[in-house]
Amino acid sequence: MLYQLALRNIWRNRRRTLLTLSAMVVSSALLILSLGIFSGMLYDMLASATEQYYGHMVISAKGYQDDRDMFLNFSLTTPLEQQLERKEILGYSPRLRGFGLLSHDQESAPGEILGVKPALERGVTGLADALTAGSYLETGDRNGVVLGSGLARRLKVVPGDELVFVTQAADGSVGNDLLEVRGIFTTGDVGHDNALALVPLPWLQNVIALPERIHEIAVRTDQPLNVAALAREFRARLPSGLEILDWGEMLPEMREVVASYDVSRLIIVIILYIATALGILNTFFMSVMERTREFGVLMAIGMKPGQVRRMVLLETFFMGSLALVCGVLLGLGLSLYMAEVGIDLSGTLTPITYAGGTILPRLHAVIEPGNVYIPASCLLVISLLAGFLPANRAARMQPVVAIRED
Amino acid sequence: MPIFFRLKIFPAILALSALMTGFSLPVAAEDFNLAGLVRRVEQQYTGQSSISRVEMDVVTGHWERHLTMESWSLGRERFLIRILSPAKEKGVATLKVEREVWNFLPKVDRVIRIPPSMMGGAWMGSHITNDDLVKANHIDEDYHFTLLAETAEQWTIEGIPRPDAPVIWGKIIYQVRKEPLVPIQIEYYDEEGVLVRRILFDDVQTIGERTVPLRMTVLPLEKPDEKTVMHYRDLQFDVELSEDFFSLAELKRRR
Amino acid sequence: MALIELKTVSKIYTLGSQEVIAVKDFSLQLEKGEFCVLAGPSGSGKTTLLNLIGCLDQPSAGEVWLEGRNVATVPAKELAAIRLNKIGFIFQSYNLIPVLTAAENAEFTLMLQGMDKKVRREKVRRWFVDLGLEGLEERKPSDLSGGQQQRVAIARAMASDPAVILADEPTANLDSQTSEELLAVMQRLNEERGATFVFSSHDPLVIAHGKRVVRLVDGHLESDQCVS
Repeated sequence: MLYQLALRNIWRNRRRTLLTLSAMVVSSALLILSLGIFSGMLYDMLASATEQYYGHMVISAKGYQDDRDMFLNFSLTTPLEQQLERKEILGYSPRLRGFGLLSHDQESAPGEILGVKPALERGVTGLADALTAGSYLETGDRNGVVLGSGLARRLKVVPGDELVFVTQAADGSVGNDLLEVRGIFTTGDVGHDNALALVPLPWLQNVIALPERIHEIAVRTDQPLNVAALAREFRARLPSGLEILDWGEMLPEMREVVASYDVSRLIIVIILYIATALGILNTFFMSVMERTREFGVLMAIGMKPGQVRRMVLLETFFMGSLALVCGVLLGLGLSLYMAEVGIDLSGTLTPITYAGGTILPRLHAVIEPGNVYIPASCLLVISLLAGFLPANRAARMQPVVAIRED
Repeated sequence: MPIFFRLKIFPAILALSALMTGFSLPVAAEDFNLAGLVRRVEQQYTGQSSISRVEMDVVTGHWERHLTMESWSLGRERFLIRILSPAKEKGVATLKVEREVWNFLPKVDRVIRIPPSMMGGAWMGSHITNDDLVKANHIDEDYHFTLLAETAEQWTIEGIPRPDAPVIWGKIIYQVRKEPLVPIQIEYYDEEGVLVRRILFDDVQTIGERTVPLRMTVLPLEKPDEKTVMHYRDLQFDVELSEDFFSLAELKRRR
Repeated sequence: MALIELKTVSKIYTLGSQEVIAVKDFSLQLEKGEFCVLAGPSGSGKTTLLNLIGCLDQPSAGEVWLEGRNVATVPAKELAAIRLNKIGFIFQSYNLIPVLTAAENAEFTLMLQGMDKKVRREKVRRWFVDLGLEGLEERKPSDLSGGQQQRVAIARAMASDPAVILADEPTANLDSQTSEELLAVMQRLNEERGATFVFSSHDPLVIAHGKRVVRLVDGHLESDQCVS
């Protein structure tokens, strides 16, 4: 009956309860949504760094990633390939990297050329999905190139145009050959869009005189945020001379951004909920003060202070739970919409590259369990906290005094 | 993540012209001044023309190579050099006219203009950088010189960049022999004052009216095992060359 | 042993800087089965006396004894239990819980006593029949007349089988006919079931029904008459 009493008490002042509830629902829903969007930015950032370039882990000769020395190369051996065949690994791509001059007609610009096997590279990076013109490299393409939009603009090329690549080959000679533009991608990462070009691996191996050699194997995994454990496992079994780096090691700033996210999420939740908590506190104080005489009567006819306190806390708990359910549903709904549809801001904002990743000019949500249960459980905690003061107030009332109250 | 452009192409032209800009012509005592002396060392070839055949040996930790090239120059602003061997790179050529540098790549039959951002690269895989070349043309204007020491045989001259001058070196020290007037050694310090490169000159020969050191050895001091040696053969001065010769059409000519 | 004994009880309130003497050196003994009216004009101290008897308040001096026990020695935590099990309250303005139905209001004290749901339903049903409240079980207090509400209040007070029922001006908000009916009901309960009633009232109708009338003036006992 205490439960019924608490439940019915909630609905005594319908308008006030609905207003408070909607404040709780809206604040928790918006919190869930904004955390989702925050996560979306983080994922965009991480994805731009890993899924458009590095991969989640990279295997390379020891020291190669420090200064990209072209002579720190290796061969993709069968045992290594077998080691990469496991369910956690969604894809891996052997790559050769060259730096040189790209030129078209009167224009020329420095570029970073990645020699890849198109089908394998697609399994690691999403550049194929970032094409803004033309098409991706096909398996068997001899001298195609897919390049960043900034680079294409500088060279004034469109798909179908011809490019010359010149570099110093590994034998010291002037390596050079012709490429044909197949496609142009825009990732939002200015560094990549202005300098990166993908070419067929054999073509680059030939031009820079490193036949059958590669510089790195980029790996995509199913658990990007838990990649360190997998990398550790690999490290123990790699052939000597090779090392494996996860994205956290390649991009330490990014790792810090991710780590600080958990903390900042909690801080945001707390700040946002302080306002909500004050609103709830106000409502419950009002509702308790209004019922002063009723509490007096209840205690006069034998209700214990502890039971009175429990009843008021139950009321806040019910309200908190109701707000939680509605807030979570609304928040998830909004997040789902933002995850599926999102809002494009590229008309008003430019991409921001930070900590090695790029925050795209869009509002896009990613639904993470923590983004839902942290705001949800905090909502419950604060409604109980906000209920505690009025509940205590009610429990401490003197029946004689309370009954006389009007 | 810095991107290291290891492109080792062209513009060592400055160093080349430094070499070719004969280091001869005794200086009359009355017009002796340090900037003028350095100018003579760096660009004495100004207003002159030359044709030469050059052999270049480059030694690095990963490979060694031997190139033969033929080159033409006119004044300090015009310069053409073409590879004769090895066969793989025969016909690769570089043309510099004033501030512009082009390369010709016979394999793909294309001319490429070197953008300003690539001037920092090295030339033909050697230890001579492009920037040396373009900037060394103006060393006498960009640096302030003081005489550090003088003996009966030689001068030691220190060059410090003038404020706001667009330079890459923090200090340059020349050792110049008085008679005949030829450089012996040039040392380059970076902006932190660390000695990073040394160029040695020897095989001093008299060609026509000039006395020049025909061999130049570039030592990148941070890589003690590496060096680039340029050796001039068949050097001729004051030949018949017009500005028209230094054209893209000539750049693309295959021999 | 008297059911309730007040031994030279005084109650002094402080209102701001003013001390108000509500009850002064008041002594009274009440036996089981009494139907007693504390009569007097407002401010004479009768409500204060009811509060002291009902363990809602503590005297400033003197002692209140309930079933042979000095209330002052009862720990504060147990007072609620005494009120629940020993005392039934009927208020001037009924004071039913507005969100509960009539039956639930009557059940409430039984729920607090921890009585099984079925048992208390049945008990309340019988009380409703007894008090002529049949068919009103599911109504909310706001849908009941004043007399009906006060009958529900009687049911609530009686249901827990208290030692004494304290009724503070129970007829003050009722018309005379309803008051008469209500008093008749309580009288019947007193006579049939031996329930002990203590009223505070200045309503002549109530006073007329009292078997014992204790008159108060300014916190003093003026007269104590048994009517038979």
